[in-house]
Amino acid sequence: MATQLEQAPNIKTELRNQISIMIGGQGGDGTLTVVNLLGRIFRDYGLNVYDARNVLSRIRGGHADGVIRASCDEIYSTGDEIDTLVAFDEEAVTLVLNDLAPDATIIFDSSKGPLAQGLHRAFTVYEAPLGNMAASALRRNIFKNTIAFAILGRILGFEDEVLVQVLKARYARRGQEALESNLKALNIGLDYATKSIHSSPYKLKRGTNSGKILSTGNEATAFGFLVGGGRFFVGYPITPATDIMEWLAPRLPKFGGVVKQAEDELAVINMGIGAAYAGARVMVATSGPGQSLMTEGVGHAGESEVPIVVVECQRVGPSTGEPTRNEQSDINHIVYGSHGEFPRLVVAPGTASECFKMSADALNLAEKYQLPVFILLDQALCQNSESVQPFDIKAVTIDRGKLLSEESISKIPLYKRYQYSEDGISPRSIPSLEGGQSQVTGNEHNEFGLVSVDKSNRLRMMSKRMKKVELAKSDLPRGNNFGPRDAKIGVIGIGSTYGPIIESMAQLQERGTKVRFHQLRTVFPLLEDDLKEFMQGLEGIFVVENNYQGQLARMIKSVTADNERIVNITKFDGTSFKPIEITNAISSVLSKSSDAASFKLGV
Amino acid sequence: MQSVQQAPARRIYTPSAPIWCPGCGDFGVLASLKKSLSDLGIASKDTVIVGGIGCSGSIHNNLECYGIHSLHGRLLPTAVGVKLANPKLTVIAAGGDGDGYAIGVGHFIHTLKRNPSIVYIVMQNGTYGLTKGQPSPTAALGYEGNKDIPFDAVQTALSIFSTTFIARGFSGNQTQLTELLKGALNHANSNKGLGFLEVLSPCVTYNDTYKQWREQVYNLDAEKGYDRTSRPAALTRTMQLLDEGKIPTGLIYEGTTPSLEANTLTQTEPIALQDITSPSNIPRYEELLKDFR
Ligand SMILES: Cc1ncc(C[n+]2csc(CCOP(=O)(O)OP(=O)(O)O)c2C)c(N)n1
Ligand code: SF4
Ligand SMILES: [Mg+2]
Repeated sequence: MATQLEQAPNIKTELRNQISIMIGGQGGDGTLTVVNLLGRIFRDYGLNVYDARNVLSRIRGGHADGVIRASCDEIYSTGDEIDTLVAFDEEAVTLVLNDLAPDATIIFDSSKGPLAQGLHRAFTVYEAPLGNMAASALRRNIFKNTIAFAILGRILGFEDEVLVQVLKARYARRGQEALESNLKALNIGLDYATKSIHSSPYKLKRGTNSGKILSTGNEATAFGFLVGGGRFFVGYPITPATDIMEWLAPRLPKFGGVVKQAEDELAVINMGIGAAYAGARVMVATSGPGQSLMTEGVGHAGESEVPIVVVECQRVGPSTGEPTRNEQSDINHIVYGSHGEFPRLVVAPGTASECFKMSADALNLAEKYQLPVFILLDQALCQNSESVQPFDIKAVTIDRGKLLSEESISKIPLYKRYQYSEDGISPRSIPSLEGGQSQVTGNEHNEFGLVSVDKSNRLRMMSKRMKKVELAKSDLPRGNNFGPRDAKIGVIGIGSTYGPIIESMAQLQERGTKVRFHQLRTVFPLLEDDLKEFMQGLEGIFVVENNYQGQLARMIKSVTADNERIVNITKFDGTSFKPIEITNAISSVLSKSSDAASFKLGV
Repeated sequence: MQSVQQAPARRIYTPSAPIWCPGCGDFGVLASLKKSLSDLGIASKDTVIVGGIGCSGSIHNNLECYGIHSLHGRLLPTAVGVKLANPKLTVIAAGGDGDGYAIGVGHFIHTLKRNPSIVYIVMQNGTYGLTKGQPSPTAALGYEGNKDIPFDAVQTALSIFSTTFIARGFSGNQTQLTELLKGALNHANSNKGLGFLEVLSPCVTYNDTYKQWREQVYNLDAEKGYDRTSRPAALTRTMQLLDEGKIPTGLIYEGTTPSLEANTLTQTEPIALQDITSPSNIPRYEELLKDFR
């Protein structure tokens, strides 16, 4: 077998501050496993980590890749360039050719032949028939990912023992056989590396972090729900929301809770409403298609004043769209969707840490204001993982609002579920409490919850419900502001654009442009004061979002009446912004001092 | 001025009077429901009626207990949510045939499959009463131009292997109806699973089937030798009766399958009443931080 890894001519040996690695191939090639293994090692090396996956919505076949970036410094995205690529086929190279650093290193699986000459450019290319090596030694091609992991380990300068330990940790629970085969594959990779790679060109400095954990937004949201006293989760599988259900399924029952997979999203939202009405803290989670089915139910919760938290994990839409790709195009749907008018709150975290806290807080908001609360996420935030400080469990508080006990009901002369009140919030009884018997309904109703079409009742009930939105404003998360106060250029974004915007700020600063960033965290109702305060004194404001129409920008304009200063930067090709894309878009608008109101990336 | 006799002040709502047309079959269901709850001594504070949308789906307003009015077709998931959150409650879902067998039929099948310990009453009138008489899934051939073969929910329920209580009553036979309803309530309240009761409940305004149904009903409870604990026997006998143009009524099938709560819940204390603020949870939450690789 001609399996000699080619020796690269000029190997760099200096210690690096950061690195970005991509593993690409076909679905089923085990690319994400390598990303996970690397993540643990980087984390244990005290480095900051951020990873992202790009898979098709099928289990086998079709291009799939994972990117992982590690750095001594704080990082918030996968960055602009890939330094090292493991490619299990040629497509994995061609697809990212323009994203590779000019001096990138490629480990190429040459089982089906060498990498086309034209793709070599100035890269350092190690070619080895990884798939064949795995097949001949272990009878299964799939172990090529572990072989690649071993070679990567040497390139990155990890000690062999570290590689062994992390494999053991991963495969310990999957049986002795799986572990042994993987350890064999590891040794095959190490042997080849010994023969062919004589230095560690990408050896990283050790980081100074200790105790950081790796989390995706979905995992953090699920955990926040549990810690916030959430005890009833109902869902129906859908990418990219399913991870929330899957994280909770083995854990919530240990706290007495329920994770139920229903027959469809119509059942999901209504089962959630039933459990919430009965007194449980409830979360449902879905993505666009499921949200469309839930829309009637969310309005029902609003009208009948049942507290419920709805997580919407946006993906490319409409219809089936691109299930595994990133977009922020359900903003309008979440803020405006439904027939009729009802109170709702929409919050949007930007990091895993915020997902944790805002998930727990959303339960408080829902119960305090007795309405549906949306947590708006997007695929990148849902599924990318980052290294974060361990979640602050003790910072979570539980506020059940005007939930009554039997004792407090006994003091009420005549209980009315929808009693008119100054603040619009009525004392809430739940079944089993004597004296709190009442009717809860999505029909317009009187104070007792009995059907009413009386005009003056309608006016009072509508006002009572709708004014809760105004009242909630003081409790809603204000935007996070970053960057120098004297900057004249502002950027606004939500969700996963947080990372690329933060990194773009540094790039713009290098180009001499000072930028301030307002990470919006309440999408509905927009906190006008907060926005206006941020916008004060700015000469140009860029609203950055992943959709075609500029949904967020339109909403902001509708409350700030600011049409002149706002330029909309949108991207809707299914991928997240790279920092450099934002930087270039802003630079080009500023340099041309163009008065274009929108800048559509790639169009 | 002295008042003659002061009634004690009410502490909760006064149920509204039914909205139904005089003679509507649903009056019979309401009467049976009131009697069953009172005869069985089920506390009003522990009773939740989940209404569907339709003429039938207003029945919750006419009783004095907890009530939640769901969306059209969504009463079963709502009721299941209530039950899982607090299994100590008596949960009764009550709605129409359009609600349960048309727009909500997916939930119907899955609820039969899951066997939650609730009661489900379907007021079957072969029409959409509230929207003024269009054919429902159970409508007879030819009714308002209906060309679709009528759906038989009892046969469907019999063909799902996890059902545990299948009954059919008739508003025109109060004694039998009340017995069936009590049976369904006892079944659910002893955590055996779903008490499914279809009630032939004529819509006198758009589809007055009283006379016809009175002639067609066949009381299986009165049939000697009928084995309601055998699914094949029940299926065979009911099919025969249907072929003869009869409608089988009575407790048609009774079986045993673990209930949804038995399969799902990990503690006896209702989730809905759990003290979620307990500080004893904190170390357990901290333990979970280890799961973040
Ligand atoms: C989603 C939705 N579609 C349609 C309706 C209109 N609608 C109200 S009641 C009803 C049918 C009721 O029929 P059934 O469930 O048999 O009840 P009945 O009035 O006969 O008791 C319909 C179609 C609705 N409320 N919601
Ligand atoms: S329309 Fe029919 S179902 Fe509705 S109340 Fe009148 S009789 Fe009953
Ligand atoms: Mg009907």
